[in-house]
Amino acid sequence: MGFFDEPFDLTTAAEGRVEGIAKVTGGGKYAAEYKVNGLCHAVLVGSTVAAGTILNINTNNAKQVAGVLGIITHLQKPLVPGMANEEKIKEARFGLPIFHTDKIYFKGQPIALVIAETLEDATYAASLVTAEYKEDTKIVDFNGALASVSLTPAGKDRGDIAALNNAAQTIEAEYNIKAEVHNPMEMHATIAEWIADDKLKLFDKNQGVNNVQRTFAKLFNIPVDNIEVISEFVGGGFGSGLRVWPHALACIMAAKLVKRPVKLMLTRPQMFHSVGYRPASWQKIKLGANADGKFVGIHHQAKNGTSFYENFNEGITRVTRLIYHFDNLKAEAATVPLNLSTPTWMRGPGDCTGDFAIESAIDELSYKLNIDPIDLRMKNLALAKHPDSGLPWSTNYINECIEKGAQMINWKDRKATHSQNVNGDWSIGYGMAVGAWNAGRGTASAGIQMQKDGTLTVQTAMTDIGTGTGISMQNIAHESTGISKSKIKIELGNSNLPPAPSQGGSNGLSSIGGAVVAAVAALKLKLAAYAASQNEAYKNATAADILMSDNGISFKTANNQFISFTSLWEKNKLAILEVEASSGPGTERQKYAFCSSAAHFCKVRVNRKTGKVKIERLVTVSDGGKIISEKAAANQMSGAAVGGIGMALMEEQATDERLGTLVGNDFAGYHFPVNADAPIIEVAFINKPDPNINPQGSKGLGEVGIIGTAAAIANAIYNATGKRLRDLPITPDKVLLG
Amino acid sequence: MRPFLFSKSSAANQALAKKNSTTQYIAGGTNLVDLMKKHIAEPESLVDITSALPAKIEPTAKGIQIGAMVRNTPLANDPTILAKYPLVAKAVLAGASPQIRNMASTGGNLLQRTRCPYFYDVTTPCNKRKPGSGCSAIQGENRMSAIVGYSDQCIAVHPSDLCVALAALDASIKIQDKSGKMQSISFTDFHRLPGTTPERDNNLPANALIHSIEINENAFAKNYAYVKVRDRDSYAFALVSVAAAFNLNGDQIVEARLASGGVAHKPWRWLEAEQYLKGKTANAATFEAAANIAIKDLRPQTHNGFKIPMLKGAIETALQQCLNP
Ligand SMILES: Cc1cc2nc3c(=O)[nH]c(=O)nc-3n(C[C@H](O)[C@H](O)[C@H](O)COP(=O)(O)OP(=O)(O)OC[C@H]3O[C@@H](n4cnc5c(N)ncnc54)[C@H](O)[C@@H]3O)c2cc1C
Ligand code: SF4
Repeated sequence: MGFFDEPFDLTTAAEGRVEGIAKVTGGGKYAAEYKVNGLCHAVLVGSTVAAGTILNINTNNAKQVAGVLGIITHLQKPLVPGMANEEKIKEARFGLPIFHTDKIYFKGQPIALVIAETLEDATYAASLVTAEYKEDTKIVDFNGALASVSLTPAGKDRGDIAALNNAAQTIEAEYNIKAEVHNPMEMHATIAEWIADDKLKLFDKNQGVNNVQRTFAKLFNIPVDNIEVISEFVGGGFGSGLRVWPHALACIMAAKLVKRPVKLMLTRPQMFHSVGYRPASWQKIKLGANADGKFVGIHHQAKNGTSFYENFNEGITRVTRLIYHFDNLKAEAATVPLNLSTPTWMRGPGDCTGDFAIESAIDELSYKLNIDPIDLRMKNLALAKHPDSGLPWSTNYINECIEKGAQMINWKDRKATHSQNVNGDWSIGYGMAVGAWNAGRGTASAGIQMQKDGTLTVQTAMTDIGTGTGISMQNIAHESTGISKSKIKIELGNSNLPPAPSQGGSNGLSSIGGAVVAAVAALKLKLAAYAASQNEAYKNATAADILMSDNGISFKTANNQFISFTSLWEKNKLAILEVEASSGPGTERQKYAFCSSAAHFCKVRVNRKTGKVKIERLVTVSDGGKIISEKAAANQMSGAAVGGIGMALMEEQATDERLGTLVGNDFAGYHFPVNADAPIIEVAFINKPDPNINPQGSKGLGEVGIIGTAAAIANAIYNATGKRLRDLPITPDKVLLG
Repeated sequence: MRPFLFSKSSAANQALAKKNSTTQYIAGGTNLVDLMKKHIAEPESLVDITSALPAKIEPTAKGIQIGAMVRNTPLANDPTILAKYPLVAKAVLAGASPQIRNMASTGGNLLQRTRCPYFYDVTTPCNKRKPGSGCSAIQGENRMSAIVGYSDQCIAVHPSDLCVALAALDASIKIQDKSGKMQSISFTDFHRLPGTTPERDNNLPANALIHSIEINENAFAKNYAYVKVRDRDSYAFALVSVAAAFNLNGDQIVEARLASGGVAHKPWRWLEAEQYLKGKTANAATFEAAANIAIKDLRPQTHNGFKIPMLKGAIETALQQCLNP
């Protein structure tokens, strides 16, 4: 029996999270919260210049502080075999070679680490470390440096964009988005303990424990299995935990130096330059259509900031090849090195950026063509196949997302021309945009431990970063075993558990779901094998033939003869039954293309006197395949939509070119939306399973919730005011002067 | 943070006795602790004054007295304040977040330091933090900076919302100096313009305590407004803010008050516009004319030209809201 033969029952009250109670009662431990005997504390010292060379570091005053146990600098440090020389550093591809260089690439770059008995001592001593530098010229202003790099092709051209010259209407415009920081609520932290010379235990904030394990195994030249990484609770990531960052290595080095467990938690100001960010970007779009609205082609150019020690290409033009059919397409991209730390993936990486430009341009074109923006999109969606690979979509319900969203927001209330809906000083407008994301799946493993009383513990190394992975695993295990949810425990986020990919790119559930189903199948076979000693018929059972309940198993073709777990356990003298299985993508990836998608609708009020934008309604309808846990999924979508509000209206990591510095590295200066800025996000799902992607039919949602939100808001502002704002964030000043 | 000694005083004279140049008073700590964490304030010792100063709102012969230790939340909820001085409550609620308002004291709010980002970044020059080091904001990120009353030494703005209302209402500040003597300073004379001494935010004598705030009875409890334009709807400092109030005789304005935050180194009174409003009919045309008077001599920085139309809009909006508070 296939997974889908058993209908899901999600009509009962939406459930919470398996880890919910622990989280809200403080029982759940985040990386920095574990109690470890003999723990001491480490604090990083950052460079005060943005570019140059360290001439000397003075640690004398810091050493005088009582409680200081040691100080690491590039001159004095424990050995990291994987960074022993230039060549190895290159090979390691770790990013910033922390404490292995005298070069300064950005302000705040760690130049020293102070380890002390208490956090207070370490913090104070760190403030006493000084350094002298030979300063080099620096550049941190992305827009100023843009022109210095030239574009190169991003993927193959399609047709010839010269065709745009014959289009009935074209839009040609530039779009700028300021850098944004992830800043999850939990700051990144590591507790490192060397259990033996070659055995390491880490409590660490990250999105993938196996990735952390592999990274440090390589750097310290020890077997992967000698490293235990525990990340049971992760207070958000948004992509910032997909890489292993220098501070984690610094913490491990500190533990080596002082031969004690060490905790290093980044401060909030350090979070702004230590764990990546969404880079600043520039885009230019030329888009044309025939008078009937059929797109003629698109020319998409994009640049994003990166650091001087690594190249990070955000992949901004990828989404250009995903949603619409363009006969003629040209995409070009470049990266602009700056004296900043390396950016990284941030929710909806690349696509979110590219989509803002495309969806803004399409909206603009719709007014020129005098075609409703929904109709214009419907005419051009690539609904049958992936426009680039040509593979048929396994499923793609983006059109249904649009239809449903239009209904929910009452799209017919929108005025076809701008500035027509006015109430006192306020102008009201509607806007929409769509987004899509290539839906992936990785190979993941899950294990099940079963007790005599029928309780299951389902395990994986995958982290749950707030995504609802745990509750979804519980649902899948329940649906495929029939065992009550109350008897299914979830354990995750520990490298001792069956390996799994990192939680990211909307791949988490898509990957782990299949593993849980596979582990259940393995469990059923194992149970059948034991049952065969009581009933011969069980010998030939396949997993699909075995039915489970809270109390025992039965076998369809053996007259459903029931065998209780109790008797199975007693007859076979079992203590605990353990299985592990993995599952991953297969040939379906050669036959089909996969995508998640969403349509976002927004109603805004704009104050013409003050420039204030107030979001009245935000509707997000998505196709993420089968929804496994509705509450967790809706939470993903509304969280992403709020992130979209931030991107659209306020998030901006400012820089100061003269001083080579970030401006404002705290939550008073860097604004993300608070409750007052966001209406209750109206979330709906198409909720149709994708039959090919994985056994449970879910396609992943984390990214599409934010891809398109910013454009929907900007398009609504245009509809309200006639102001086409192409630079994010759209703060009140831009509205007033726009 | 630099290590420090901590003690608590239960009476003002005790606190005053302990105070010297390396000591700092701490009230709610919502500003001072941040400043200490960033090494902008590095006191050797702290004197907790939360039990040393009045925490009550009391009637006086001429009006009302707000103790320096009245926290922002009770201040905004006080029945007398709401009935007679509602502009104060409105301004308080426009500031910070509920958690911060629960801690923040009235005295501390007056003495909170600027939010200029360079002031908070010790790796950058800043005359206010380190006299003579230069002003990073003038050639840097000055979107939030002043558009009036600044100098070539400092272009920072005072961040308080409460102070804008208190300036508008002509409050006065009761101060107790090191010797224990009480004196009163009018609110508009309390905060300073940067001039050549941007390190000095106000005229509080060295080591003195703010004891309380006094507001006289006034006729501004019916038509008042506080409009704050900011980058997000809560928990953000003002791009510009406007406290407005008037009293009416029919539809004629008898007397008006108009003050702004986010524009200068101190809460800024638009005296000429106030004068203009006197005797005029309260309507949109009058409000716009008053706003135009307010904005006529402003000199924005490289990044904040927008503050002029924004201020104009905010003044018009605030005056309009006075008709329907
Ligand atoms: C993130 C954030 C956002 C904020 N947003 C706003 C906002 O939007 N609007 C707004 O108005 N405010 C805002 N605030 C500021 C807040 O209102 C002030 O921090 C608060 O009012 C300070 O009061 P406190 O009692 O905590 O002062 P403390 O931090 O304890 O003290 C501040 C200073 O005043 C001195 N001091 C305190 N009381 C006395 C006294 N009685 N006599 C003499 N000296 C004294 C202290 O020595 C210290 O130097 C915000 C603060 C933060 C942290
Ligand atoms: S404006 Fe004032 S506070 Fe800001 S950097 Fe200049 S001197 Fe310092």
